[in-house]
Amino acid sequence: MRRTHLERKYATAGYLMVSPALLVIALVTLFPIGYSIWMSLNSISSTYNGFQFSFNGLTNYSIVFSNAIFWQALLFTVIYAIVTVAVELVLGLLVALALNQPIKGRGLAIAVMLIPWTLITVISAQMWGYIYNGIYGVLNAILMSLHIIQSPVLWLGDPTLATIAMMIADIWKTTPFVTMILLAGLQLIPSDLYEAARIDGATGWRSFWSVTLPLLRPSIGLAALFRILQAFGLFDLPFVLTNGGPGTSTEPIAMLAYKAIFSDGNYGPGTAVAVATVGIVIILALVSLKALRTQVGEIE
Amino acid sequence: MRKTNQVFRKSIGYIVLVLMLLIIIAPFFWMVDTSFKSNLDIGNFPPSFIPHPFTFYHYIRAFSFYNFGIYFRNSVVISIVATIVVLILASLASYAIARLPIRGKAPLMVMLLAISTFPEVAVISPLFLIMKNLNWLNSYQSLIIPYVAFNLPFAIWVMRTYFAGIPKELDEAARVDGAGIMTTLFRVIMPLATPGLFTGGVFTFVACWTEFLFALVFNSSTNYRTISVGIALFSGQFTIPYGTIFAGSTVAVLPIVILVLIFQKWVVAGLTAGAVKG
Repeated sequence: MRRTHLERKYATAGYLMVSPALLVIALVTLFPIGYSIWMSLNSISSTYNGFQFSFNGLTNYSIVFSNAIFWQALLFTVIYAIVTVAVELVLGLLVALALNQPIKGRGLAIAVMLIPWTLITVISAQMWGYIYNGIYGVLNAILMSLHIIQSPVLWLGDPTLATIAMMIADIWKTTPFVTMILLAGLQLIPSDLYEAARIDGATGWRSFWSVTLPLLRPSIGLAALFRILQAFGLFDLPFVLTNGGPGTSTEPIAMLAYKAIFSDGNYGPGTAVAVATVGIVIILALVSLKALRTQVGEIE
Repeated sequence: MRKTNQVFRKSIGYIVLVLMLLIIIAPFFWMVDTSFKSNLDIGNFPPSFIPHPFTFYHYIRAFSFYNFGIYFRNSVVISIVATIVVLILASLASYAIARLPIRGKAPLMVMLLAISTFPEVAVISPLFLIMKNLNWLNSYQSLIIPYVAFNLPFAIWVMRTYFAGIPKELDEAARVDGAGIMTTLFRVIMPLATPGLFTGGVFTFVACWTEFLFALVFNSSTNYRTISVGIALFSGQFTIPYGTIFAGSTVAVLPIVILVLIFQKWVVAGLTAGAVKG
């Protein structure tokens, strides 16, 4: 009797302790997402008396889905995500393998790798903008002194070059993060598995393909998921580096939503773009979580 | 045979390591280097590697003529307050989830994980309307509250892991001694969970310090701009004033680099937490 009373007291205290955090999260994330969906189903105009809503069903979505710029932004985001994540995984794995052995300077290397992660993306965008500058950028100076190019190139003036330039800036900043996750995964692989593989005659590449890679799949999947989700929110880097240009060739989907809402005042269609983005993100997360789980299941 | 193989692998390791360090550091070097050059020197092509003349002009200008001082103050206030609030709310919530008999813990943790994957752009337009109606645009709370909400899920996940690793007998002993839940949490358990506070704190602080989209949309007036918005929107009439931008950037990078190097161990713990849980 006394025990249940005490249990109930602890449960009440527990709910009280969880509720402030949940209240803030619900007010700033869950409620606005519901409100976003509602906004995307309305025609919204800004007037003297505030914002006027009038329900218009799926009109905003048909405006968005019939617009070539939306599909271009989506395609750009998908290609950008695939290329940067693939390159980051390969480079990150290479560095993680190098660091996963008893070599000197390991601590220093890890410390230095943390620095790009803490860097404000906008600063790295300004930094790379200056490096790529077509008039006095150091990249042109280096390539010209190596006689790779004859005259300065406007790196950010061409759609393909600008996309590659932006990808390089992103890969520079986030590969260290991917490396850290993969390194943690590598350190979890028991060393007797390598011993066993060695006794079976598998060394070098063989043991990498048959031991390291399969056991690292959860970490690889996790890093890929993180990065793909981040790519769908890509905004800061193009905002400063290219402003989506030339034209709209480097405009990712988050930037399209931002511009539609805050530059053009198209609240309804812009919010529909944002809601569609969340839909894609949720589907991606569910699919990859399921894939991850089956992979983990296979290993166990 | 095996010995030479190991030496070979190690030397490749060193080569990869040195290359990686050079690639990471080179752009930083270039940024800091440029911040000490005169405007005339910055416009030269091909650029010089050693600033000539070496000048603090851009640092003085960024803080006396331009508003980097204000941007700094805003970023510091917003990031510190948001981090403290996150740590308090996350300690309470994660202790309850780890120790107290409440229902629905598993769905709660999954929901937090799901929320932490939402892109900011998903909530930007409703939050903007709400802030506008509350007259909160250009204020500190317009950023502190969203930053708290967006960083709580990770902090709760990390701290719950630390609480779960502390023996339950400690709580029980404290209760037998007559301590209430709050006394148990703050006097007995928290001192043992400081690594969790460090990890959650550093991740939250870095996220607030580097955030851009909310800061751009909610706080556009000079008096409430944060560093990231200040640096992004900083532009001259005819040319981009890189000297001043990089002077401000260098100052913005320093405190956070020092912070992360001090707390390096716990940052690594946070980065690896996801991989360990897999």
